[in-house]
Amino acid sequence: MGTVVVGIIVAGVVALAVRSMVRDKKNGKSIQCGGDCKNCGGHCH
Amino acid sequence: MSIKIALAGNPNCGKTTLFNALTGSNQFVGNWPGVTVEKKEGKLKGHKDVTIMDLPGIYSLSPYTLEEVVARNYLINEKPDAIINIVDGTNIERNLYLSTQILELGIPVIMAVNMMDIVEKSGDKIYVDKLSKKIGCEVVEISALKGTGIQKAAEKAVALAQKNKTSIPVHEFTKDAEDIIERVEDKLVGVVPDAQRRFFAIKLLEKDDKIQDQMNTSVDVSKEIAEMEEKFDDDTESIITNERYTYISSIIGECLKKDRKEKLTTSDKIDKIVTNRWLALPIFAAVMWLVYFVSVTTVGDIATGWANDGVFGDGWHLFGIGTASYTEVADEYTDAETIVNGFLDYESEQGVDVESVQTALDSEADDYDPAAAKAALTEFATTISDADTATYSVVDEETMADEEVTSTGADFQEAVATMDKYDYTAPDPADYGVWIPGIPVLVENVLDKVGCAEWLRGLILDGIVAGLGAVLGFVPQILILFIFLAFLEGCGYMARVAFIMDRVFRKFGLSGKSFIPMLIGSGCGVPGIMASRTIENERDRRMTIMTTTFIPCGAKLPFIAMVAGAIFGGASWVAPSAYFLGIAAIICSGIILKKTKMFAGDPAPFVMELPAYHMPTIGSVLRSMWERGWSFIKKAGTIILVSTIAVWFTTYFGVMDGKFQMLSEDQIDYSILATIGKAICWIFIPQGWGNWQATVASVTGLVAKENIVGTLGILYGGGDASVYATMGAAFTAVSGYSFLAFNLLCAPCFAAMGAIKREMNNTKWFWTAVGYQCGFAYLVSLVVNQIGGLFTGAGFSIWTIVAIAVIVAFIYLLARPYKESQTLNVSVKTSRAK
Repeated sequence: MGTVVVGIIVAGVVALAVRSMVRDKKNGKSIQCGGDCKNCGGHCH
Repeated sequence: MSIKIALAGNPNCGKTTLFNALTGSNQFVGNWPGVTVEKKEGKLKGHKDVTIMDLPGIYSLSPYTLEEVVARNYLINEKPDAIINIVDGTNIERNLYLSTQILELGIPVIMAVNMMDIVEKSGDKIYVDKLSKKIGCEVVEISALKGTGIQKAAEKAVALAQKNKTSIPVHEFTKDAEDIIERVEDKLVGVVPDAQRRFFAIKLLEKDDKIQDQMNTSVDVSKEIAEMEEKFDDDTESIITNERYTYISSIIGECLKKDRKEKLTTSDKIDKIVTNRWLALPIFAAVMWLVYFVSVTTVGDIATGWANDGVFGDGWHLFGIGTASYTEVADEYTDAETIVNGFLDYESEQGVDVESVQTALDSEADDYDPAAAKAALTEFATTISDADTATYSVVDEETMADEEVTSTGADFQEAVATMDKYDYTAPDPADYGVWIPGIPVLVENVLDKVGCAEWLRGLILDGIVAGLGAVLGFVPQILILFIFLAFLEGCGYMARVAFIMDRVFRKFGLSGKSFIPMLIGSGCGVPGIMASRTIENERDRRMTIMTTTFIPCGAKLPFIAMVAGAIFGGASWVAPSAYFLGIAAIICSGIILKKTKMFAGDPAPFVMELPAYHMPTIGSVLRSMWERGWSFIKKAGTIILVSTIAVWFTTYFGVMDGKFQMLSEDQIDYSILATIGKAICWIFIPQGWGNWQATVASVTGLVAKENIVGTLGILYGGGDASVYATMGAAFTAVSGYSFLAFNLLCAPCFAAMGAIKREMNNTKWFWTAVGYQCGFAYLVSLVVNQIGGLFTGAGFSIWTIVAIAVIVAFIYLLARPYKESQTLNVSVKTSRAK
């Protein structure tokens, strides 16, 4: 049971991370650069 | 009704500072040109219907640079409802040149004279009422940095936009010039809006080839141009420029009263030393050495040590309460254990059967019983007399070096008594002072309590926590570095560095303009590469893009710190040397590449204002630090998290005995990652680190440079020894520096590579850049290892000959004459008559 609960939490965290990356990518941001568009100037999109 | 207000002004006059103050935004502010390459917009605080547009800094509305094109196109095509023309009060005469052009655009203009605090401090006086009359628009005094007058300026701009009352230029040129301009204006009736006729007329006279694109109908003004050039005996562009400055000179005396005392300002005095021909470079070297020394070695090391060993380790004593007393007893117990184990090893080597005693004393075993340990050791102790001696080897936990130690029987008996005193259990730090357990400990306790499966424990503890912990542990060092960089940028020193480097760069055909992307690249390579857009010369721009990422970015700092700590015992020279290696790589690459046909040509002129030194506000420094640091932390929560899971899976799963299965720590040589690494690690044998762990770490570093640290944290973190100890044992000093050099200079992360591809806008040039970076890094790390090896007794091999050949070729490429600059290449097509 513990494994299932922990597994779901880990999967949830990873899903959130992936979702955030997909969303950034769709918004034209780079997923590797940290999306610090304010400091960068956001020239990449 | 929605209102659009544009901020326009010279570079470095404080537009972005004003923009941030008006909109509450946090756009990056830098005091060198090119920080704002594209326009940015935000809403005026308290006015949802008012949009503020921050335009790139420009000196004129002539289309010489990308920034000027962006700003001009916006002002002509988008026609904002009002323009706030920001004028640097300390350089008002030069700033008014752009103002005279802006006023010709037929858009309501309000002039905001910025940096009034500095003007007042210097004893100068600007008469804004007179200036307003002479220039033809309202003028307000502001200090964007201190926030004074900005609200008034914004309110006046909004009111002006609502009235929609066009500013009419009052400045006039000489009669002859005005007559000709008027005739051209007449030709433009119905072609362009009436309010913009003067602007278009002047631009047509200036032979601005891009202005025709903005007009629906082509208008021929060649007759007027010829007439003007004949009358003034000059080209029209120079004539108009001269007319503008003549007008400005005629009014400036009434509007500005300079403090006549010709004394040097504090900035001038500092610059006399800091930009001195001989002292500038040593001072720059010393400043950067200090920055990296403090960030990585001293304060940063203490903070990161706490983060790595405390927050992402076993735990820490709150405010150090209890650390001293715990360390004392822990050392006492460890010393006793070392002597006891040493004696047991010695006896075992002598053929005495001590296996049962060693098993009983194995405190790492799950079934360790202190009572059984006591019984076994007490019995064994009866066989050792005070006169006995034992020689055994001790492994230093930090350096992993073996050391021969001899102890006497008396030492042994004393050690047994010590262990007895602590009931055969190592002192627990939690029993001393206020102990806060580390994240891995807390996570492990939770996983134990819920009875989590072994594979999931491995994924969480050995993968996610170890990988992310290895990266996040460096956050304190990163933040300290960013504080220093923000301070150096904010106070005006970095602007001087571009000026200083211009002298150096010019010697090999680049200008100081190429150093600005490198300055920005010390935070992140992506904006650094983007900043190369300000370089007009295409060849210089390509060369700058190719070399910008040689400067260590923030993401490489954890890796530099890890190598310095694990392989060089925290030596203070390693981190600064990484920075100077980057600069040396840029300079050498510049010299070599500039001598090739692809990049030959004279350097572009570099014009830059040096802002007065000033103490940046604590808020701006902390904000800059936090925003850059947050991007690092955010990355850890996304791409690094996913990467650590991928690295853990490929490390702990593989084919063994013909079966795909989960592997234990001592079986990871059979893992997927090891298989991949072993297939390619031979490439790095000449570099001295041809092992699969270092190879795969370099490959994962291409996803994000922090991944090198995360991957090494997982790969070297499985055993009993610390990650640093295991890593230190895997490299020699020479191969370690070779590993560092390769990863600093090779192709950057995918994000930066994407930026290179976009900026090059050409697949061939993209691969040329990436190929050059990787090839350069490969050769530099080869030379480091092979030549370094000669001094450390590694011997002579075929690769040493290759390294010597590389050095000879390198010296030749650096020293060969610069033929291309003296040769005019002309392509001639010949055809034979039939």
